[in-house]
Amino acid sequence: MHTDARCVTVFVVFAVLSAMLPGAVATQERQVVEMVAERFTFTPSRLEVSVGTTVEIHIRSQDTDHGFHLVNGPNVIVPKRRQGEAVVLFDAEVPGVYQFECSKLCGAGHNFMKGEIVVTAGDDAS
Amino acid sequence: MSSRRAVPRSCGQPVSGLCLVLLLVAASSATAQSGADGVEADRLSAVSRLSDWAAGGWQLGQGGSGPVWSVAASAEVRLPDTSAAMARGRPASSLPVAWGGRQGAGVGGSQSGSGMPNSSFSGYMDFHFNNREHEDPVVDFHRFVLLFTHSFSDRVRFVSELELEHSLVGEDAEGELELEQAYIDFLVTRELNFRAGMLLVPMGIINERHEPPVFHGVERPFVDDVILPTTWFDAGAGIHGEIGQGLRYRTYVMAPLDASGFTADQGIRDGRQKGAESTVRNIATTGRVEYVGLPGLWTGASFWRGKTGFAFPRIESRVTVGEVDARYRVGELEARAQYAHVWLDGMGELNRALRFANQPGANIAREIRGFYVEASYFVLPNPAPLEAAVFVRYENFDTQYRMPTGFQRLQQFDRDAWVVGFSYYPDPDVVLKLDYSVVRNQSGVIDEPNALNVGLGWWF
Repeated sequence: MHTDARCVTVFVVFAVLSAMLPGAVATQERQVVEMVAERFTFTPSRLEVSVGTTVEIHIRSQDTDHGFHLVNGPNVIVPKRRQGEAVVLFDAEVPGVYQFECSKLCGAGHNFMKGEIVVTAGDDAS
Repeated sequence: MSSRRAVPRSCGQPVSGLCLVLLLVAASSATAQSGADGVEADRLSAVSRLSDWAAGGWQLGQGGSGPVWSVAASAEVRLPDTSAAMARGRPASSLPVAWGGRQGAGVGGSQSGSGMPNSSFSGYMDFHFNNREHEDPVVDFHRFVLLFTHSFSDRVRFVSELELEHSLVGEDAEGELELEQAYIDFLVTRELNFRAGMLLVPMGIINERHEPPVFHGVERPFVDDVILPTTWFDAGAGIHGEIGQGLRYRTYVMAPLDASGFTADQGIRDGRQKGAESTVRNIATTGRVEYVGLPGLWTGASFWRGKTGFAFPRIESRVTVGEVDARYRVGELEARAQYAHVWLDGMGELNRALRFANQPGANIAREIRGFYVEASYFVLPNPAPLEAAVFVRYENFDTQYRMPTGFQRLQQFDRDAWVVGFSYYPDPDVVLKLDYSVVRNQSGVIDEPNALNVGLGWWF
């Protein structure tokens, strides 16, 4: 009887620790986004992700050089059409709205070329 | 791969900037009325917050002392395994003071808070050979355009575009020196921004997007010449922004057209005042809504409306322009379509006034309209310099579509055209164009010349 109680206790502790373990060591969910940069827009221009997601944004140009500048964050050149891609990794750690914009003068409508990453607290991101 | 920290910039409250301005005005007004120390303190606080906003440091909707959040972000550039491409791609953060050759040009000597250069310039050029039937062939350096920009801060930016057309300006010269754009953008939120200065009218596919490598054909489409008077620009002010996933708008008040420049064959084209001491006894309103939320698809609708008869005070004339357009790209195939319709009120009276004022041929229509459809295909879909496309375009444009009572249509201005051609790209920003246009009209007497055109255009 005493041995059975000890076994049950060990089982319960093991089960509880097993249930906790995935959360403790889980890697962030990764989401890959294909983005097109073209005079004068990013498509898509608005991304919604949940906290805990790592967003891997692959940006290709359909015309000239563009820039992808995450405001207060990294700034990268998007190569010309058919000449490569820029990849931006974004770890969505804290809810908020993060703006990005074209950072290389690309024509008359350059200032229109911007977008945002919306990091939501729950699982309601689309 | 570099890694930096980013902070959220907006909580999606588009009216916050406007509220801030109103707050400042209200604070100033309150001070004038009461003179109380507390109100003065509030006013100074509002001034301080406005200064913070202009510097890009104040987070809209959070107040000046809101939490600073951060996330990790990093970036890199991946290139195809070609030596030509390897030389081009690079992380902007690894470059010195200015990128894209601007440092060598002697501008961009300081940086904004974002790490980007404060000033930069770009430009585009158009060099043409035109051989029209029944005329001597000509070579023409059609456009020499320089764009200068300056960022006073992340929030306040200046953009300009100075264009020299046909290379020579002066008496007996065809050329024009035009300031097509010169405005300040006050960037408040993604949804709401303010703009004032010399503006491009937000109309159609070409008017705001006219760099030579981005359209096929040596010359711009006929519809974007005689129906929509590209490049259409004037002094004005307004707002612009993007809502949700790819729904964009811009709307401005601008100087109106001048009806005394309207003609039977060119429609409203010569009515542009071009910001040269433009008369604004009446103002025009214009706007555009476009959806760019799906990959490969662009759709838009534009309008313009304004009184135009200030040169003839007793004539009540008004112009309304409506336009819709779409572009769709799938794989190497792209299709474009555009329709524009212009309604001109009071043209009967205007024609009579012009004829009385020594223009006996005045025959301006009360409606003009035009459309085109175009298909293009990249037959060499390789990285430049092995990149080329073919295209075909059909256009129909009529500047005598509906006439005022008592005036006859001039059939030679009801025209259509087939344009076929080829675009070769030694670099995505450099294009060699060749096309042939067959133009017909409804007149049995007056011929419309066909043309062979060769062009070299580039953007830098």
